[in-house]
Amino acid sequence: MRPLHRWSALVLVFLMTLAACQPAAAPPATPTAPAPPAPAATPGATATPGTQGPIRIGAPFNLTGGLASIDVPAANGARLAAEEINAAGGVLGRPIELLIRDTKTDPATAATVVTQLIEQDKVVAVIGFTDSDYVLAAGPICQRAGIPFITVGATSPRLPGQVGDMLFLAPFGDNVQAAVGAEFAFERFGKTAYLLWDKGAEYTTVLAKYFKARFTELGGTIVLEDTYQSGDKDFSAQIAKVKALPQQPSFYYISALPDDVGTIVKQFRNAGITGPIVGGDGYDTPLLLQVAGPAAENVFFTTHSMLTADSPNEQVRKFVAAYKQKYGTEPEAVFAALGYDTVYILAEAIQRAGSTDGQAIKRALESLRDFQVVTGVINYSPQSHIPQKGVTVIEVKGGKFTLAAEQVPQKVPTP
Amino acid sequence: MQAIGSPEFWIQQLINALGLGSQYALMAVGLAMVFAVMRLINFAHGTVMMASAYIGLLLLQRGVPFPAVALGAIAGAAALGVLLERIAYRPVRGAPDVALLLNSFAAAVLLENLAVLLFSPRSRPFPMPALLTRVLHPGGNLFLPSIHLWAFAGALLALGGLAFFVTRTRLGLAMRAAAENPVAAQLLGIEIGKVTLLAFAIGSAMAGLAVLFWTAHVGTINPSMGFEPVLKAFVACVIGGFGTIQGAVLGGYLLGALEILLQGFLPSGIVGYRDALVYGILILLLLVRPGGVLGYLEAERV
Amino acid sequence: MQLVSPTRWGWIWTLRALLVLALASAYLAVEREGNAYLKRLAILFLINLMLVTSLNLFTGFTGVFSLGHVGFMALGAYVSAILTLPVAQKAVNLPDLPAPLASLALPFLPALLLGGSAAAIVSLLIGVPTLRLSGHFVAVATLGFLIITHVVLINAEAFTRGTRTFSGVPPYTTLGWAALWAALNLYFAWRLKHSSLGLQLMAARDDPWGARGVGVDIARTRLIAFGVSAFFTGVAGGLWAHFLTAFSPNAFYFSKTFEIVVMMIVGGMGSVTGSALGTLLVMVSTEVLRNLESGLSIGSLTFGPLYGLSQIGLAVLLILLITFRRQGLLGDRELRLEAIAERLELWLEKWKAALEISRARKADPS
Repeated sequence: MRPLHRWSALVLVFLMTLAACQPAAAPPATPTAPAPPAPAATPGATATPGTQGPIRIGAPFNLTGGLASIDVPAANGARLAAEEINAAGGVLGRPIELLIRDTKTDPATAATVVTQLIEQDKVVAVIGFTDSDYVLAAGPICQRAGIPFITVGATSPRLPGQVGDMLFLAPFGDNVQAAVGAEFAFERFGKTAYLLWDKGAEYTTVLAKYFKARFTELGGTIVLEDTYQSGDKDFSAQIAKVKALPQQPSFYYISALPDDVGTIVKQFRNAGITGPIVGGDGYDTPLLLQVAGPAAENVFFTTHSMLTADSPNEQVRKFVAAYKQKYGTEPEAVFAALGYDTVYILAEAIQRAGSTDGQAIKRALESLRDFQVVTGVINYSPQSHIPQKGVTVIEVKGGKFTLAAEQVPQKVPTP
Repeated sequence: MQAIGSPEFWIQQLINALGLGSQYALMAVGLAMVFAVMRLINFAHGTVMMASAYIGLLLLQRGVPFPAVALGAIAGAAALGVLLERIAYRPVRGAPDVALLLNSFAAAVLLENLAVLLFSPRSRPFPMPALLTRVLHPGGNLFLPSIHLWAFAGALLALGGLAFFVTRTRLGLAMRAAAENPVAAQLLGIEIGKVTLLAFAIGSAMAGLAVLFWTAHVGTINPSMGFEPVLKAFVACVIGGFGTIQGAVLGGYLLGALEILLQGFLPSGIVGYRDALVYGILILLLLVRPGGVLGYLEAERV
Repeated sequence: MQLVSPTRWGWIWTLRALLVLALASAYLAVEREGNAYLKRLAILFLINLMLVTSLNLFTGFTGVFSLGHVGFMALGAYVSAILTLPVAQKAVNLPDLPAPLASLALPFLPALLLGGSAAAIVSLLIGVPTLRLSGHFVAVATLGFLIITHVVLINAEAFTRGTRTFSGVPPYTTLGWAALWAALNLYFAWRLKHSSLGLQLMAARDDPWGARGVGVDIARTRLIAFGVSAFFTGVAGGLWAHFLTAFSPNAFYFSKTFEIVVMMIVGGMGSVTGSALGTLLVMVSTEVLRNLESGLSIGSLTFGPLYGLSQIGLAVLLILLITFRRQGLLGDRELRLEAIAERLELWLEKWKAALEISRARKADPS
């Protein structure tokens, strides 16, 4: 029993040391916020749901674990926007305090964190997550507490129906961009398509399904359908199947996550497949050009807007430059811009509502019209909590992203 | 779709299987080396690969020429392996296998999260020289990425070199002796500690080499990139027979062939079950031949 | 038990009363309004406790490592969730569900029991061939099972929606349900450990040849432990599903496996009370570290956000534990109130004696 004794003492000391380290009063997330009055106060004590002090916004993201490469850019974008807003004087004369929390790619942690944000930190609204699993784990908690929740990147069009009226989407639904992808490619390239998607991720699966629905509805044929597993990095078996087709299809629709896009395009092109490759907003990452290089020519993808440093849109140019200055890299994925926009959308709604009351913010969001952000124009209504944005189609030409089309789908597959 | 049965398709899939198999074989060799000496399934092998890739990228960004980058990455992997042995494994020598296994799990989690903190979780491009990324077109519709050839040569060289090392050199013989009977080896004057360290250094250097070829094929690196490879290496070792270098290489090729075969020939409705079939076959193999195809390790039955 | 002195019994009953009181007041405190955060953690603790205890019930008692238990958890979660999902929800979310299931919405308890039974049946199917193998190989085979389960969940879209989130599960799991099942699980594990079956299992673990010599059918006893363990893991999965109400196959994979294995190792393999201790310690330190991640200050030093700190802390804790105290906090022993009472009594006597000596000294300074 002796060693046990020693050990439990050690563990106790360990825990006490941890407990002794007080959480910092001002998370470095918002360095431009005015210094809080009492430096040693715990978050629970400084929480002021009233009309003074910073406006607290919960921002849970999966900053570690499997979704980190998508969520970190989103959180970075959100942090950048909060700093800009605070530098410009804040909202309702008060600074925004963005409480960025890591939920570790674990839905149980996500639910716990959101509960804590609402109950202890007294946040007035929640933004975050790029995957439906987490939105659906955390959404009902916000719904019950009457706290508005804008998801940064989860694109399943069924989310508002599943969670309730406090949930809003910052991006368009996947059915919208898949429809545009299908219509654009059908017009421009022809009636036959090859379809490949990542079977291990929700976004890629949903996108592929909506694409297929709209493309076959238009009268197109999928000549070959294939899948891969998340984590696969060798696509030679899939490529050999494509090459064995008696006749190559008009184009190749490949639904992939940002991390895999460059690898897939590179391996397809290396094998001598030169036809147009079409995809979704997962392609909107510098990795596509960096990894695939010249092989990325003749790649088309649907996304929110042209996020390049030489974009004709000044708001976009400003965002890209600010992001690069702060994080030392161009926005890694379109989620960076969505995170940035989400904070601006919420700030605008709070400003218009004139208060931080959940219902007031919700009503202000529902009446938001023609609000210009980096990823397009935002329109919500009480009937639709998914913004009705136009879709941008980008073509890789001459080693950079160029605008191929901007269009609204003629028909959207039912969610 | 009649072309799927054509000889050209078969040849292409054979090339793919050999290429992927070579990659897996290289990953598995290092794992087998460590297992032979320590009875440890070193789950941190994959994170050593990841760390080695980041060392390579850091060197590359400093403008170091590519051959030096490759050497630096391999040396860095070996050094990290030695460090892990000293910190995480040596203190628990003689403990049940499970303790070692868990320590390697913990080391893997630790290194991966450290990498997230240091480098951020985003994927980064890893530019490789044209020598490694060129694609050959040997005729017809066939294509042969040169990285397949490199990996094939690497696997052969590793197999030959390590076989020579463990059968012809003093140190190698000492290593085998330590692997087979540590107590007797110690009585004969072999320093087990030194031999273990050496096995770790070589095994981790192999991880460094493997990740070089793998990265050339993939094009990007990120902190969690080590997970899939170590799983594949592990399965390859189990298939081939745990603890032997020939077993690891053979297992790598068998796994590569199996994956390509299933991915290439299953109809699109059930191709999603590919990995379930791979692991189903693995379990069947364990039941029929627990020691693996080449294994000397005789499984006790209860 | 006759050897226990009456005063000792007094101590034991006092301790028991204190324990019950502590649990009851914890329950009441958590149930109060405004403690939703603590309540979530408490429910999560009880579910994790079930997962760890039932893993321990197999792995700790038999010494055979199972890496596939999270697969049983997934089975329990999906089976019970499909069974309780309201019919209207099914029509929307699972349109391809076969006829008898599509028009069926069971209450919570039968769904949980069926989920646990499904896990138990599958465990027997894979246990019969694989449990005859020795330690390492069972670990590999169960790892294979975990991966196969994952792939099947992703592909059986008619039942699981594939990778898309399975949502709309009714939130039936209350603190009471979780506490009830966790208590049942602990009780079962405790009884099993101290039954003849438990003794056979541990004999086979410590000395397989000797155990066989005295007529223990190792494969059969292992299979029973595997089945019971899978049943409770499946029930825990069902509770988890009705607690979170939305999940996808990715929730039941390697990181969850690692989490419960660590909890088991920290507490001690083969110890029921150790499972509780390990789960508590790991959850508390994870939660404390997680709250520090977003920035902390020690005195005048401030550290920036260090996301991933809790995983790193846990890994370091595990390495330290395995290096310095390989058997975990308790090994395969138990924290027993009898033993605590005994120590308390001894300690009190010593203290009394010391007091008397000092009094005697005071009275007679020479």
